[in-house]
Parts: sequence; C-alpha cells; structure tokens
Amino acid sequence: MDWSEVIGPGALVVLISSGVAFAMPMALAAVGETVAERSGVLNLGLEGMLLSGAFVAFVVAYYVGSVALGTAAGIAIGVVLGALMAFLSVTLKTEQIINGIAIVLLATGLTAFLFEKIFGGEQRPTITGLSDVEIPLLASIPGIGEILFDQNVLFYVSFALAIGVAILLARTRFGLAVRAVGESPAAADAMAVSVGRIRWMALLICGGMAGLGGAVLVLGQLNLFETNVSGGRGWIAIALVIFGRWNPLLVLGGAFLFGFTNALQIRVQAVSGGISSSFPYEVFAALPYLVTLAVMVAATVLARRDAMPAALGVPFRKEAGA
Amino acid sequence: MTAAAAAVGRLPLESRRVKAIAASLAAVLLALIVGGLLMMIAGGEPISAYGALIDGAIGSPAALGQTLKLVVPFTIIGLGLALAFRGRVYNIGAEGQMFMGALAGGALAILLPVGFGPLLIALAIAAGVLGGAAWGSIVGVLRARWGVNEVITSLLLNFVAILGFTYVVRRPLREPGAPDLQGRAIQESAALPTIPDLYIHIGIFAAIALVPIAAWVIGRTSFGFRVSMLGYNAEAAQTAGVRSRRMIIQLMLISGGLAGLAGAFQILGVAGRLDPGISQGYGFTAIVVALLGRLSAIGVLLAAVFVAILQSGGQAMSVIEGLPYAIVLAIPGVFVVFLLIADRLARG
Repeated sequence: MDWSEVIGPGALVVLISSGVAFAMPMALAAVGETVAERSGVLNLGLEGMLLSGAFVAFVVAYYVGSVALGTAAGIAIGVVLGALMAFLSVTLKTEQIINGIAIVLLATGLTAFLFEKIFGGEQRPTITGLSDVEIPLLASIPGIGEILFDQNVLFYVSFALAIGVAILLARTRFGLAVRAVGESPAAADAMAVSVGRIRWMALLICGGMAGLGGAVLVLGQLNLFETNVSGGRGWIAIALVIFGRWNPLLVLGGAFLFGFTNALQIRVQAVSGGISSSFPYEVFAALPYLVTLAVMVAATVLARRDAMPAALGVPFRKEAGA
Repeated sequence: MTAAAAAVGRLPLESRRVKAIAASLAAVLLALIVGGLLMMIAGGEPISAYGALIDGAIGSPAALGQTLKLVVPFTIIGLGLALAFRGRVYNIGAEGQMFMGALAGGALAILLPVGFGPLLIALAIAAGVLGGAAWGSIVGVLRARWGVNEVITSLLLNFVAILGFTYVVRRPLREPGAPDLQGRAIQESAALPTIPDLYIHIGIFAAIALVPIAAWVIGRTSFGFRVSMLGYNAEAAQTAGVRSRRMIIQLMLISGGLAGLAGAFQILGVAGRLDPGISQGYGFTAIVVALLGRLSAIGVLLAAVFVAILQSGGQAMSVIEGLPYAIVLAIPGVFVVFLLIADRLARG
C-alpha cells in the first residue's frame, strides 16, 4: 500500500480533522465523567447516557427538523439519567458499579424498544447532516485552520463546552467543592460543603455532557440512528478519564489522540483494500478497543493511583453523632 | 475472622431473607406493570399480550424447548457472575468469554479427528471452559496485579473476542461455498444429544446440576465464605488472611470458564456450527439474571427462567399482537433499577 495516501501532505490534515470530529462524542462524555469521578462517584452508566442522548436527539431532530432542539433534548435526557444515577448512588447509596450497569441495561432496552416502536422495521433512518461552517480568517491558517475551524456548528459548541467544563472544575468555587468532596468528603462536610448536593450536581453535569455527546454523534457525525449506535464509546470515555489522570484537559487531549488513532486505522484499512484484503480487517476494527485497553493499563500502572480521587466509588455517610 | 463474620451477620438472617424476597416480588410486579404500560404505548392490550407471551414461551413442548434453550446459557453464565459479583469482581465480559469458549470448543469439534462421540464432546466442552477461563483471566490478572478496573477491561475485551470469532468464521473455518459469515459445521459425533419432543440438548441437565453445586460453594465452603468476605470488606478480608489477588483471578477464571461452557453448549447443542448468531447478547442478559437473582444460586435459576420466558415468549407476542419485540428487552432493564431501589428500601 501507498503510505503517502495516509500520511502524505494534505492527507494528514484530513486525517487529523476527521479524527478530532470522531473523538468529540467521547471527549464530551469523558469530560463529564471526569467531573463525576472528581466528586467521588464512579459513573459506569455513561454508555447508557450517551446512547439515550443519541436516541432522543435523533428522534427530535428527525420529527421537528431542528438540530438545536434535538441537541437540547439529548442533553435533557442525559441530565435525567444523571439524576437517576445520583438518586441511586448519592441518595440511596447503593453500589455505584451496579447502578451504572443497571443504567446501561435500562437505556439499551428502552432505546431498542422505542426505536422499534417509532421507526418500525427501518434499520438505519437518516437525517440531513449539518454543513461545515468555515470561521473567517481562522480557517485559512494552514493545517490548524482546517482541523479546528472548518467543522460544523455542533463541533464548535461542543468544543467550547468541553473547555468550559474544564475551567469550571479547575478554576471556580464549585469546581473546588467538587474536588474537595472527591478527595476528602468528611473534611468538605466539616467545612459546611454539602457532599450530597455537590455529587448530585456533578452527576447532572456528567449526564448532560454524555447526552450532548450522543447528540453530537448522531446529529453532527453519523447523521443516522441504529440500535446501539453508541457502540462502546461511553466505555472508552471512562477509560480515557483514567488515561487523562482525572485532569479534564488531559482527558480531552487523550480523546483527540484516540480519535486520530482511529481515523488512521480506518484510512489504512481503506487504502490497504478493506474487507477484500488478505490482511484481516478485524485487526483494524479491534484496534480502538485494544489501544484503549493498552493505554488504560499503562496509565494505571504508571500513575500509581495518586491522581485518582481518594473517595472515588465510596458513598459518603456522616459519622454517627456528627 | 470472628469480627468479620459477626459483621456479615449483623441483621437476623430470617427477617433479612423475608424482606429481600418481598423486595424482589415488588420489583417483579412493578416491572411487569411498566412492561404493560410499554405495551399500551405500543398500541397493544397488556393482558392479552402477556397471555400470548406466556403461551409462546411454555404453551407447547416445542415452545418450552425454545425457552429452556435460553435457560441454559442464562443459568450457567449467571451463576458464575453471581459468584464473581459476590466478591465485588464486576465481570461484564461474559459475552466475550462465551464467544471465546464457543470458538475453542467449536474449533475442536470441527477439526479433532476423534471418532468416539462422548470423548469428542468431553474434549470440546473442556476446551470451551478453558477458552472462556483464559479470556477471563486476562481481566483477572490486570485487576489483581495492577488494579486495572475490571469493568472496563472486560467490556472492551468483548468487542475484541467477537471480532476474533468473526475472523475465524470468515476465513480459516468458513463453510466452503456458504453465503456470508457461516462457519463450518461440527462433526456429527460432536453434536449434543437432545431430549425428544422438547428439542432441548442435554446441556440443560448440566445447567440444573450446577445450581445446587453453586449454592453449596457459596453457602457451605470456606471458598464461598472468603468470597463473601472479600465483597463485604476487602481490607478486613485481607487482614483475616484472604489472599485477595488470588481470589480475584480465581473468580475471573470461574465466571469466564462458565461463560465458555455456555458458549460451547451453544455450538454443540444449538447451532451445530461455528455461528456468530449463537448469542443475542446473552452474556449481558446474564448480568441482569445474576442481579435479579440477588447473587444467590436459586435466585439465578428463577431469574433465568423468568427472563427466558420473557424473551422466548416475546417472539410469539410480537407476531400475534403486532407489538415490538424489544419490549421484552426493555422489561429486565427496568426491573433491575426497581430492584436496586426496592432492595435499598427493604434494608431501611
């Protein structure tokens, strides 16, 4: 095969550009998950929130014809599932891991049912995609311009929101409270910070971001819906949080790196002959999962857990008599 | 040891058990009501729809056989997951482990030149167990050695396992001349005998036999007790001398091995060939089964029967009543959430 078709001049910019766009749903969900985990709640329901966001956003956009409304609806359903996760994990204090798995099962079942109900036997309904909007001047910067400033509107909004949440976590009073309840809930409680309320809010933000990720996936990228359209992106996002060591900007960077790797494998697969090639295409298809796995193992081994929020996964109970 | 034992048994056992059963029944009822609402949303009539569902699941010997075909993998995988979950080892990779077991057992049943049926079947089943256990052990070692989150690794490995299975079916063990994605048929002597009239392979006996064995392991052996200790308080268990790293790997080997066993049964007893269609997400359904069964062996069997009736009767319901089949996929998800809530409320 001809490598210049993959990483030659011109090809590389397209590759990075599509990689960044591909990564966006995962990046959004991963940044949201970072907030939840920094507050001390391991939200394994992310895949379900992403899938539900994708479904509701698609249905609304399909019938109302408005991408903006669809996106808002996607965020809204994510927030609702975030609230369910918070109710189970923070209010009822049931096992977080099981709650997360339950939310994924719930979302998978309900979206499958509603999809079949609403679209009948149609396998892959489609909508018209958003067209790319060039930002004047910025788009003409060689390389970067095409990568970051010649995408669709949803991309810009998402990018701004992801950065916004990163700033929220790092630079605001609320962010400080989130980090405090995740590191040392007892100390935060002694400082009159409501651990429960902060964790609730963190999960609502997380759900909203995952729902937005789902909306971006179907409205800004695939322009279609099919059963289980999220295809493991929520799980990959959780791995990205570990890879990014619970730092939202690193998580975001990790997501884009992952997106690039994936765009690369798709391109290599296409250039080398795809399914008819003598080289098994399954190896390419498995790469994103294997890369995620390898990176997560490496990050866990090297990070030695010091970056992990100390109270992650532990429900907060006030000491008796306090 | 005694302190931990005392902590495990804080509440009087009997009242805990009664409350737990009441909570489960309440959750069943609520989930069925929600299912009825979904049927109404879809334009159906719940009573007759549930009637069609029950009839389609157990109304005739053939229907019953279809239902039992689902009970086998749900029970076998569910038991392994229940044990692992008891030790807080959250293996959600049973789907992949099942496919790896199916691949190992199926490949042997196709290729191994052994004429004597029982021997070939025994070898293929052993290969299935080993295949599933090996795939599960990756997750176990990563968690035990470096503390890598097993939920995510096991989930990611599902995708890899299914792609691996697809590759083998598409290339080396493809049925010559067959249309898309059909693997080769197993040797005739490797096919599991079936019970006449019910059309169910004898794997059902293995599934049923595993229930009391699992109950015994969980409730009566020191291994089962150590698993519970690990799940209840890992640090205290460590102090009491439970070797948690070894236990994590053992739990992954057992739950992976059982998933592999179920996979081998699917090939030898149901599909008769290497077929990517041996599972409609059964490895995930088994998670529901384990949770609904409240991680007890009998509970898993009951939950497996319940979910199998839903799924197998769902086909008949969707044809007769014109309702989306996916309703029966939604009910268990709703069920689990209700159960979590009911369970918590029952514990007060």
